[in-house]
This record gives sequence, structure tokens and C-alpha cells, in this order.
Amino acid sequence: MSKPTDLVQGTLHLLILKTIALQPMHGWAIAQRIHQISGEILQVGQSALYPALHKLEQNGWITAEWAISENNRRAKYYTLTKAGRKALQHELTQWERLSGAISLVVKAI
Amino acid sequence: MRLIQIIRLRLRSLFSRNSAEQELAEELTYHLEREIQNNIEAGMTPEQARYAARRAMGALEQSKEQCRDSRQTNWLHDLLQDLAYSARTLCKTPGFTLIATLVLALAIGANTAVFTVVNAVLLRPLPYPQPDRLFLLSSVPKILNFDPGPIMVDRDYLEFRRHNHSFESLAMVSVGAREITLTRHGEPAILKASQVDSDFLHVLRTYPVLGHTFLPETRSALLSNALWKTRFNADPNIPGKTIYLDGTLCTIAGVMPAAFTFQQADVWISEKIRLNAQNVFFRPVIGRLKPGVTPQQAQAELATFTAALPPNQEFDPHGYTTRLLPLKDLFVASLRKLLLIFSGAVAFVFLIACANFANLLLIRGATRQPELAVRAALGASRWRLIRQLTTESTLLSLLGAAFGILLSFLGVRALIALLPPGTEVHTDIRVLFFAIGLALVTGLIFGLAPALQATRRELREGVTEGGRNVLVRRERLRGALVIAEIALALILLAGAGLLVKSFLQLRAVNPGFRAANLTVATVDLPKARYQTAAQMQQFDAQVLSALSSLPGVQSSAAVSFLPFGYGVMGRFQPDTGITVDKPAISPGYFRTMGIRIITGRAFTDHDDAAAIISESLARHLWPNGEAVGKRIFMDDRWLTIVGIAADVRQTGLTDKASAIIYQPYLQINQPGFLDHISFVVQSNTPAAASLRSIIRRLDSDLPVQSITTMDSIVAASLSDTRSQTRLLAIFSILALLLAAIGIYGVLAFSVAQRTHEIGIRMALGADTPDILWMVLGRTLALTGTGLLIGLPGALALTRILKKFLFEVTPADPLTYSAVISILITVALLAACIPARRAARVHPATALHYD
Repeated sequence: MSKPTDLVQGTLHLLILKTIALQPMHGWAIAQRIHQISGEILQVGQSALYPALHKLEQNGWITAEWAISENNRRAKYYTLTKAGRKALQHELTQWERLSGAISLVVKAI
Repeated sequence: MRLIQIIRLRLRSLFSRNSAEQELAEELTYHLEREIQNNIEAGMTPEQARYAARRAMGALEQSKEQCRDSRQTNWLHDLLQDLAYSARTLCKTPGFTLIATLVLALAIGANTAVFTVVNAVLLRPLPYPQPDRLFLLSSVPKILNFDPGPIMVDRDYLEFRRHNHSFESLAMVSVGAREITLTRHGEPAILKASQVDSDFLHVLRTYPVLGHTFLPETRSALLSNALWKTRFNADPNIPGKTIYLDGTLCTIAGVMPAAFTFQQADVWISEKIRLNAQNVFFRPVIGRLKPGVTPQQAQAELATFTAALPPNQEFDPHGYTTRLLPLKDLFVASLRKLLLIFSGAVAFVFLIACANFANLLLIRGATRQPELAVRAALGASRWRLIRQLTTESTLLSLLGAAFGILLSFLGVRALIALLPPGTEVHTDIRVLFFAIGLALVTGLIFGLAPALQATRRELREGVTEGGRNVLVRRERLRGALVIAEIALALILLAGAGLLVKSFLQLRAVNPGFRAANLTVATVDLPKARYQTAAQMQQFDAQVLSALSSLPGVQSSAAVSFLPFGYGVMGRFQPDTGITVDKPAISPGYFRTMGIRIITGRAFTDHDDAAAIISESLARHLWPNGEAVGKRIFMDDRWLTIVGIAADVRQTGLTDKASAIIYQPYLQINQPGFLDHISFVVQSNTPAAASLRSIIRRLDSDLPVQSITTMDSIVAASLSDTRSQTRLLAIFSILALLLAAIGIYGVLAFSVAQRTHEIGIRMALGADTPDILWMVLGRTLALTGTGLLIGLPGALALTRILKKFLFEVTPADPLTYSAVISILITVALLAACIPARRAARVHPATALHYD
């Protein structure tokens, strides 16, 4: 059983939003991309990924549509909406504030 | 834009659920396939790749459920699904469903019935504009040695009305509607009349629909809408016409709206207060506060006013007790305490039913453990399971409420018997809300605890095993609920037991006369046609002579103050401070009523200035027993005592025997003594019809107030007590029944759970009595604990019944022992079936059980 990532719930949302900000992607590709870009450190299991995607969709931050994937199969592609872009900006600022604060504390000690 | 999309998505997940489900499955399958493909590319065999991918993905069903949860419309769908599922499971266990519904229907029914009445009588605002500005003024002279209720002395009322700044209008009203005769207008009739003064309608701000308000300087009357329709054929020209009320001419001023039912009167008559030496009246006073004046300010003004009153011979020097009460108190003050007691009683029934309901659900939760464990394993969260279980319990409780509302209609009918006649009780929307509210409270709160229990983690883990040690703890919870039920049932039973004993004692009271075979007709002789005592005596003599020649009549008499009725009371000399009843009687009275003459003789037709006194009065005045031949001074003349009669409870069974001075009716010369007269006939055959025709023949304009039997007069005096007792008894039987169901349920389940253990015990040599004792012992332990807890509560709470008890103390040991025995017996009876089932366990079967 793959445990949900240790990342805080909000952080997974940030990663997903950031990943699909460049281009629409389907779920599996999102997981792969996060895995690759993080230098194979972050592993997002489907048990965390899909509930998060559905949640973001419900929030109206991303939309989904079915398209033919790179291996010629029907797959569900997620696209960032205008509201999603705003949310991403907000999440990013939040994250920078938080990580900056944490590193300040960590370095000081 | 975003909003539209969100709405579209929510609607989709709600209504096109199937396609959403399919897409979810497809999406996850796609993910799985890509994992497998990836693994193959990394060099695994297809079989290994599939397995690895599966393992990496984890439980698919669980993540599907999480995805569904993240779509927020899920709860509505879940609710519908839960309802359908609950309905199915409830149908599958009709026995459980039936008992649970019945338990709740009884409790909710009883509560709704009482609430219907409380709502109609106590809570509903009075049907007058701005009813919260209407008040009852009271300044009671402290010298009165009884509580007259909220009243003002006439003189004080007039004085206060002249000077007050708090009320925009004030009016005097009569204590209640009294009976009055309507004559010379078709068949004579008895009406209920309320006497009020001029500003009455302004205070209530309610005006006639026909005609106008009271006419100044004339005795005028307002008709109720019902009387106008039934008696006057809805005559639109009625205002200005005259009628005879109690033989006196009276002008009809107008007709009131149909909704106006003040004091349930048929007619409201204007009365002018005359202040003279004889006026020592006190009556209720109602008033409407001026805008902006608070009740506190008004009460302060009333208090200041009474404190400053000049000294007065009758009512000073002790001062006054002043109060300002809501007008509603004029109508409901006497009912409030009774209704509160009933509300308390049904609240107890409700609590017992709730404990029972919770117990049933606990047991059901335990038997459904495997099912819950499977659902948990398939990804249902604990919250989700709890929601399912509480949906089920709420569905049950709503079902109970539906039947309960039907039952409450019956209950309301029983309760109306306790209310003053004419009280209107409607079921309104509040009653419906009340019943549904009760159901929701029961379903949610009393369903939640069992649901929490049933979904505990330890239990969910044991799909196969069943978690035995946890069951022990739950058995303890069930036991506690049963103990609570017993304690509550004891309190109710004790209350009912005390009332029953009080009622039996009341019925056993000897009234001093023999009520059997007595028929009574009472008439009021109108002053207009019967002006002198002689005219009245002549009428009485004619009736008596006609009665004596009737076949089947053994004896007959006339009396001005019938026992359980009313009549003249007063003082006599030597003044000992005793107020006596002063019935004027015909010579046959003692023989007809079966009242014993102890010494001396009864009256003859030729007695003058004679008196017969009651036994207790004679003993009080002449302790040595030589009363006969002594003289007393009463009503301006000396009377010689010719005999002593046995004591009679003149004013009712609950009251002590009155001090009575009887006089021959022929020696009376004040008409006020004789205008209210009853004829009593002792006969073996019904005498009502002949009595009526004799009176009709002698005076066709005279309405007979009532023709009834002495037996029913006595029974009617008990009827309130009887209905109160019956009602509380019904409530407590209900409580007993519910407690018995509770005990039965817990023991039956515990025996079923312990079949295995019982089998082992038997295999090891325990015999039937041991096993029986095991079950009955537990029953006694539960019941005993319940009794111990309930007893102090019962002793404390039955004290509020004191006012309703007759010669029984609230802590009556006999009643308590009876009630406790009943509870123990019922508990043991309820335990019988489970105990026998336990004793019949066959070791071999039991060991194969599970």
C-alpha cells in the first residue's frame, strides 16, 4: 500500500498545479513528472494523486477532458483554469514564505 | 465562469453518476496500465509487472471512495443511498423494526398529546390584539384567611381606575361564567354569563360584528356568535331587542365575533358597580398597559396606590398583597400545575423509550458486526459507517413519530376530559414540529452512541472473530441503560400509585348521606316572578305535594343547599367564629337523603323557630351532649334546637364535614334563602321524566337547571381526580411496559451471546437451577440497582403531587412497597423467557454454536 506522501496536503496541490501549468497532462504523467523533476525523491501514489485531482477539479482550479494519449489510448487530461492560475500564484507565495521561514530557523540553529 | 463550471461538475456527479463512475474506473485503469508498461520496459515479465503495479497502486476501491468523497455532492447521494439501504435492512428485520417503532410511537404519541394540550392551553397567545400588553391586576387584602386568586376589592378598583397612569383601560370581570336563565323566548334555557363592566371590550380591543358595545346607563348584553346563530336564528336585526335574563329585562347591544370566547360565556352582561355599605365584593380586574409602560412600573404603581389607601373597616389594617399577572392566568392558573406534572410524566416515558431504543440499536449493532467489518475493509470510513447507522436510526424514529402523531389524537381526546369544558384544543404546526423534533433528537442522539460503539476500531478489525472482550463493555452500557429505565419507571409508578391510593381513599369516604336511588332536580326561581319567600314556599309545596302522589316514589324533599352544590352560608350567635352552611329543608329531607338523626327529632310541617344542627357542630358547641333544647340566634331570631343530624360532607368528598344548621323551609322569610332550590326524590324507578313534567306543569317559564341522580353528582365530583389518576396510571403502565421490553431485550441478547459459555458450564456440571439463577440473578441486580437509584428521585419528585393527594403522604410506605413489588415482579416476568431459553441450552449444541 503506497502511503500518501509525507508532504502536507496543500503542498501536493501546489505540485500538481505547478506541473500542469506548462501543458495539460493526465494523472500518470503528472506523477511521473513530479518523480523525475524532484530527482526521484518525491513519489506520488495514485491513492493521494487522484483524490487530489478530483478535489482541485471540484474547486474549479483545473478542468479535465478526455484526449488521446501518447500511447494512443483515451486518457483524462487536466488543464489549469484561470482561477487555478491565480490559486497557483497564491500557493507559491505561501510556499516561499513558509520555506523561507523554515530555512531561516534551520540555519540559525 | 468558474462558478458555472463548478455547478456543472456537481450536477454531473449527482445526476450522471454512472458516467462519472465509469470515467473514474477508466482513469485508474489507465494509470495501472501505464505502471505495468513501465515495469515491462524496466525488464520485468508481464506477470511480475502486473503484480508490482498492483502493489504500488494499493487498494483501488479505497482510492475510488476517496475520489468520490472529494466530490462534495457525495453526501446527498450518500443520504439517498443510506435511506434506501436502511429501508431495505429494516424490512429484512421486521421484528426489530416493529418493536423499535412501537416503543417510539408510544413515547412520541404520549408526549405529542400532552404537548398538543400544553400548546393550546398554556403556550398559544390569547386571541386578542397585542395580548402581551394584557394583565390581571391583583391586590388581595391580607386579612382574608383564604386565597381568593387574583382580585381587587370593588372600591379599590374604582379608585385605582380613576388615578392610574399605567393602563390605558381597565375592566372588572366575573370570576368565571355563571349560569343564568333565559326566559320568555321559546323554551327556557340556561346560559353561561360573564358579568363585566363598561371598558371590557376596549381592554380586549375586540368589538361586536353586529350592533355596538355596551349601552350606557342600561343593562345591556352582548351575545356570543354561537348563541346568536343557534338561539336567535342569526337575526341581523337583533341589536336593540330585549330578552329576559334571570327574569330581568336586558337590551341586546350586539353580537361578538365567532372567535371571541372569553370565559366560554354565551352572553356578556354589563354590570354597574354600586358602592354602598353592603358592597364588600372583590373580583378579577383586567387591564391593558399603555405603550411604553413596563409591567414592573405598573406593578409598582399598583403597590404604591394600595399602600396609600385610607384605612378601611373591612380590609385594613393588614395591608394588601399586590401582583400583576399575565391575563392568561385568569383562565389557566389552575391547570398549569396539572399540565406540568403530566409533561414531566410523559418526559419520563420518553426518556425510558429512548434508553430502550438505544439498547435495541446496541444489540442490533452487535449482531451486525461482520457486515460493518466488511464494509470498513472495502474502504468505508468510520464516519461513513456512523452516518449510515444514524440514518437508519433516524428513519426508524421518524417512522415512530408518524405512528406517534396518530396515537396522539387518541391521547388528546383523553386529556380534554381534564380541561374545563369548552377549552379548544387544536393541533397546529408547532405540534408537528414538536413530534418531528423529538424523533430527530431520538434518532440522532440516541442513535449516535450505539453507532459509535458499533464502529469502534477493535471491532472492525475482527471480521471473523467478533471481538468478545469488547462485548463485555457493551453489555455494561446496556445494563446501565436498563438501570436508568427502572429508576425512571419507579418514579412514575410511585406517582401513579399515590394517586391511585388517594383516589381509592376518596371513593371510600362516607359522604354522610345515601346517594343510591336519588334523583335531583335543581331550579333557580327568578326574582321577577318570585318576589317573596311566601311565593317560593308555595311553589315548593306544590311540587312536593305532586311528587308525593307519584307512583314508585318512596320519599321526596326540597332543600336549598344540596350536598356538593351551593347555598347560603353565614354566622350565628353565640359567635364562635364558625361559618355554617344554612340549608332550608322540607320535613322529609333526612329520610329521603338517608341522613341519620342522632338525637332529638326531624322537622315536622308545623315547626317554627326550630333548627337541627350537625353532629360535629353540636359537639363543638356543647361538648357534654345536651344540645337539644338549647337556643341559638341566627338571621334576626332565636331558634330552638330540636335535633342533631349526622355529619354530611356538604361541599365535596375531599373537604371536611361542614358545620350545618338546618331550618324548616316554611319558617324562612328572606327570599334570598329560597331562590335556589333542589327537589330530591327517592324511588326505585327512574323519576327524572316525571320530575321534569311536574315542574313544567307548575311553571312553564322555569328552566330546570339540571335533572340528575345523586350518584352521578358524587361521581362527577370525583371525575377530575379519576381522569388524573387514570392518565398517570396509563403513563406509568407505559413506562413499566417499556422497562420490561428493555430488560427482556438485554437478557435475551446476553443469553444468546453466552450460549457457548452456558454450554461449557452445563458440560462441567451446572444444572438447570444454576443457569436459571444466573439469568434471574442478573435481573435482580439490574432491577435492584435501578430501584436504589430511583427511590430518592421518587421521594423527591412525588412531593409535587401533594396538592393532588387525599389523606396520603407523598412518602406512603404501603404505596412504595406495592410499587417496588410490581416492578420486581414485572422484571422477573420479563426475564422468564430468556432464563428458560438459557436453561434449555444443550451442551452439545452449544459447543458447536458460533
